[in-house]
Amino acid sequence: MRYVALLIAISATVWAAEPEKPIINPPPAARDWADLAKLPDWSGVWNPKITDQDAQARTNMPPWNAKAAALVAHQLAEEKAGRPPPLFVNCLPEAMPAWMLVTHNAMEILFTPGRVTLLGESDGNRLRRIYTDGRPHPDDPDPTFHGHSIGRWEGDTLVVDTVGVVPQAYIAISEAAGVPNNGEMRIAERIYLASKDILHVELEITAPRVLTKPWKTTRIYFRQRARKFDIVEGVCLEGYFAPGTDKDGNAIFVPVKHDVGGNRVPPE
Amino acid sequence: MKKRIAFLALLGVVAAHPAAAHHSTTMFDHTKVVSIAGTVKEVHWTNPHVAIFVYGSLAAGGEPTLWLMEMTSPGNLVRAGGWSRTAVKPGDKVTVDFAPLRDGKRGGALKKITIAETGKFYTADIRAQERANLEEQPAK
Repeated sequence: MRYVALLIAISATVWAAEPEKPIINPPPAARDWADLAKLPDWSGVWNPKITDQDAQARTNMPPWNAKAAALVAHQLAEEKAGRPPPLFVNCLPEAMPAWMLVTHNAMEILFTPGRVTLLGESDGNRLRRIYTDGRPHPDDPDPTFHGHSIGRWEGDTLVVDTVGVVPQAYIAISEAAGVPNNGEMRIAERIYLASKDILHVELEITAPRVLTKPWKTTRIYFRQRARKFDIVEGVCLEGYFAPGTDKDGNAIFVPVKHDVGGNRVPPE
Repeated sequence: MKKRIAFLALLGVVAAHPAAAHHSTTMFDHTKVVSIAGTVKEVHWTNPHVAIFVYGSLAAGGEPTLWLMEMTSPGNLVRAGGWSRTAVKPGDKVTVDFAPLRDGKRGGALKKITIAETGKFYTADIRAQERANLEEQPAK
């Protein structure tokens, strides 16, 4: 009797749970792969237009609140004085939105059924997964460096919404000036080809703890289409080390001394 | 092996200090260009910044000594400067133009390195090469 009651209880639990568990990663069908051919061609290697990043650091300042504005003013003064604040020298990912805003490194973009993936040539772990299969954001996503991104295609434009970014992630205007978003950040993007080999990423960043209103910026990437240039591995921590040999003749990485600004220490 | 360890000691290779990675370059004085001539001792073809160690003398004169040259990443150098992992090798006689460290230490941001034997040179300014399809156009 007790056994029957247990079975009924288990069945009731399963029945009740079923509607709560939609399949979010269905196996793609042949049609799903064929549909990818209808998307715009974003293949190749994309590099950021750094001179435009430089220009916008002067001409398109985010609407910082007073506290953030004071911090950025201090950072810019320090950089000008030859003491650039080391925002990104710990080899953690630059994270969102700083990757899109201030990176100096290349990226590539992959299309697979239900998803767009951005892979960056740096940090060894720089990637964004943008789900285009219609799923919503989780109710309470675990905070991550690149957040939880969902996207949809409006013609040839990928429209992306990102939440769930760690509060420590910088809203940066350069590699030396930026403010942690401090939480509750939301990033809306429109990504599209502005011309044959130019990609625009329009961002609207809402970060109520550091910005007085949403900030808009467009970042520009240019493409190397031919196969001469491939994206390469870029492991940030590699710069901490020099190739060496241990006492048994094994090839090892030997730690190298760096200064606080992130450079190897010159010889004494 | 002994030579290798001695060289690493010369570079000041010690316990890791918590720093590296993506940073501004205003610790270098980009308004100045300093030149040295000497011999390449080591090439660190590593992310996020390539480094070249050169044993040489200032064009302005002085005793030869070891200098550290910092650059951008391998990927950026390949695309924007026509570099490869073996473009510059230990033992090469070179001249180097660089923006010096503001603090007076023997290091700088490499602007141009010329290999004496061949006259071939490489630059490292990624901002000067912001164009699509670089391989289809003559380098600036």
